[in-house]
Amino acid sequence: MYYYALKMLIGDRAKYIGIIIGLTFASLLITQQSAIFAGVMSRTFSFLTDVALPDIWVVDPQVQYIDDIKPLQDTKVIRIRGVAGVAWAVPLYKGSLRARLDNGTFQTCITIGLDDETLIGGPPQMLSGSISDLRRNDGVIVDTVGAHGKLARSGPDGTRIPLKVGDTLELNDHRVFVVGICKITETFQANPVIYTTYSRATTFAPQERRLLSFVIAKAAAGEDPEVVCNRIREATGLMAYTPAKFKELTFYYYLKYTGMPINFLTAVALGFIVGITISGQTFYNFTLDNLRYFGTLKAMGTTNSTLLKMILLQALIVGAIGYGLGVGLASAWGALLSGRTQIAFYLPWQLLLITAAAVLIICLSAAALSIRKVMKLEPAVVFRS
Amino acid sequence: MPDPTHTPPAQQIAVSCKGVTKTFGTGAAAFQALRGVDLEVRTGELLMLVGPSGCGKTTLISTIAGVLRRDGGECSVFGHDYLSMTEQETTRFRGEHIGFVFQAFNLIPTLTAAENVSTPLVIKGMKRKPAVAEAREMLRKVGFDERMLESSPVDLSGGQQQRVAIARALVHQPDLIVCDEPTSALDSETGRKVMELMRGLALASNRALIVVTHDARIYEFADRIARMEDGRITGIETPQRPAASASEILTTLKP
Amino acid sequence: MIRKYLLPILALGGIFLGIAVAIKGAKKTAPAAPVSQPAHSPYKIFVAGAGIIEASTENIAIGTTVGGVVARIYVQIGSRVKTGAPLFTLDDRTLRAEIALRESAVKVVEAQLADAKDELAFNENITDKGAVSVEDTNKRRNTVRIVEAQLAQSKAQLASTVTELEKLTVCAPVDGEVLQLKVHLGEYAPAGVLGTPLIMLGNVEPLHVRVDVDEDDAWRIRNGAVATGCLRGNKDISTALKFVRFEPYVLPKRSLTGDSTERVDTRVLQVIFSFTRGDLPLFVGQQMDVFIDAPTRTFSKPVEPVPAAEAKP
Repeated sequence: MYYYALKMLIGDRAKYIGIIIGLTFASLLITQQSAIFAGVMSRTFSFLTDVALPDIWVVDPQVQYIDDIKPLQDTKVIRIRGVAGVAWAVPLYKGSLRARLDNGTFQTCITIGLDDETLIGGPPQMLSGSISDLRRNDGVIVDTVGAHGKLARSGPDGTRIPLKVGDTLELNDHRVFVVGICKITETFQANPVIYTTYSRATTFAPQERRLLSFVIAKAAAGEDPEVVCNRIREATGLMAYTPAKFKELTFYYYLKYTGMPINFLTAVALGFIVGITISGQTFYNFTLDNLRYFGTLKAMGTTNSTLLKMILLQALIVGAIGYGLGVGLASAWGALLSGRTQIAFYLPWQLLLITAAAVLIICLSAAALSIRKVMKLEPAVVFRS
Repeated sequence: MPDPTHTPPAQQIAVSCKGVTKTFGTGAAAFQALRGVDLEVRTGELLMLVGPSGCGKTTLISTIAGVLRRDGGECSVFGHDYLSMTEQETTRFRGEHIGFVFQAFNLIPTLTAAENVSTPLVIKGMKRKPAVAEAREMLRKVGFDERMLESSPVDLSGGQQQRVAIARALVHQPDLIVCDEPTSALDSETGRKVMELMRGLALASNRALIVVTHDARIYEFADRIARMEDGRITGIETPQRPAASASEILTTLKP
Repeated sequence: MIRKYLLPILALGGIFLGIAVAIKGAKKTAPAAPVSQPAHSPYKIFVAGAGIIEASTENIAIGTTVGGVVARIYVQIGSRVKTGAPLFTLDDRTLRAEIALRESAVKVVEAQLADAKDELAFNENITDKGAVSVEDTNKRRNTVRIVEAQLAQSKAQLASTVTELEKLTVCAPVDGEVLQLKVHLGEYAPAGVLGTPLIMLGNVEPLHVRVDVDEDDAWRIRNGAVATGCLRGNKDISTALKFVRFEPYVLPKRSLTGDSTERVDTRVLQVIFSFTRGDLPLFVGQQMDVFIDAPTRTFSKPVEPVPAAEAKP
């Protein structure tokens, strides 16, 4: 019977394709918009993702999100080292410094100062040079996007010549020397990122009483980072977060104080509504068109539960196909564009499930109308012409 | 009463109705479609139900076929009373015992002819492949064109479509076949052929047939004709020219 | 057939593509490994501090009392010297010439004294009272006294010049090692406090570590606490430290890392520990991460004095 249900569905090509287009569109819109949203949001804490080694971040208690830097006293590093359960703690500088390019323009760069001794917190992927080259005099590492984009120099014929190892830059009136090119997750601000040592970064930075942006630390083996965080809070009065908590803090900050979530939510809702209207409507029409045959089948002895399963099967099949096509299109779009552009596209597996759930809801609500119609159908209608 | 040439194996009562009533709607809009119908149909008999539009013919066969619940009176079909059965039991009973032929054929256009015929078997729980094989066999029996077995009903002529519909009504060996205006969509020649076929195939297996029609051209195929008017049976008569016996028709049908 | 299965196959492909993109996106790049492992504390509860290695005599910046051009250097970098050993000598030619002058002046006065004494003896040896006047004899006696005084003066002047000469040679004030040698032959060595000392001298056996501890953590350290020091840059170079003393005065923190301009915002207690270098490649002036064992310490609150009036109503 279910084979016949499918044949009935696929046989009506116009409606079959209509429903699938609606569902494809809905799942495409939901997946793509959510993936861009996820991508944009994950960039807000890309720094946390890149600096993956520490499991504790210590900041001023007033800090609201990762880029809200409220510097600490230098001695806090050694105080945190002395907290029970801390395996190690090193300083990390993060700030915006102006780089002067050789054509005279200025470019704000995110400057990251790594602990001089261990160079913990370095970029995860080096394209040329190595992190230990930072120990060379005036050495800095530049991210490849910046090196090819905003920090590239212009040649005599107007072409952009990417920054490479051995080039020099002027960073806040200090001459620095590129010792490496790295690849990092794109940042939310899309500014070039420059890595150097902590002491060098604090020399470059404008003179302030306090310059220590973060203390990054690791819990000793066998210690729960959360517990160690609490201990740091109690002992020093500073705020300590695990990377997950810090990401959460940042995420919710952007969620609360920017219009982005509403914007993306609207697009997703739109996809959902369009899906419901196009597919739901078409599916319902399909059922109405076939009502006579459902009635015939009912008269000939098909039970309500079998009919229900037939309609559910039809809905699920179009749902699965529409879902697959939509997800596939969105993924292909993301895969193609994220290789060529700086577009934020991040497709976590949870998103696939969320889209699946949304499509399922669309299908079930479309099927529910049809099922209700068929269930209430009196088999006697077959005798009315 | 049955014509002398027709001697069915053992006639028994297939359908027995006494004072069946049915009202549609309530209050002022209420319309009493059946006002106490008494009717008896025997196995091996083709009963025609004739009368003007709106006299209650369709309501009556709907009630007998179990697709409509009566309001009052008594009605038993092979000893079963629908009122004492659940809806699911009624549905099952229809699937087992009753064959339907509709005025508009009601063939599913997206299935092939053979698949359409196989549906009652599949509904009864048979696997699709043997059901389709059996359906093909039945289509051959009703003289359906061999080359059209896998065609869609929309590509068939009216007569061919009604053959498919008859095959579908017969394929699961029902005890009672109800037909609603089986010939009204057909030209008279095709209509005659279809009626011959139906009478022959149905009566040969000692079934009961109820045919609703107001096509006077086919009255001759009836064993009895029940006239209806305003929700009541106003008379039962035997047609002027008795139809050929089932065995005769079968022999003429054989290629 | 293809028409029938085209959409489901495309859909299946789409789902697989989605899963593939999700898997690719979830792949995390491994975090950059630290270039050198950060130091770990060997103690469960401890106070961390930043230390700097110094000589046990502290690092002595040798100066000179007078300025001058360096004429001779007796030591090399790393030389072990005993107390009083000469380190370098400034140009002494002027003073040596002056000494010669002074010596000759002494000799002149000595000759004059001899002459005066002879003349006095001549008079005193004449028994004829009338031959020499008393006045003349007295005058000669006085001349001898004057010349004697002149001799003493000349000798003192000579001695003073010799002392000046000695001051041109700078000697080691303690037993120790030459840690820094910033004088060169022919250079002018100025007197006074210098940014770069001429010679840095100190006793390196044992070595000391001067550890800065945040004043907030200072109370946790016990007198005589044990500690471990790890060299910056290689946590495997570590040594046990022996408590020497607290510096009794809590200082404003001097930034050990980075800029020389000080950003004082906290005060630190300095704790001195000692260790023997042995074979370890440790040098004076190097930074160390120091972990000081500091088991939990509780201080009972002083009992509040009960006001007499309330105690005895």
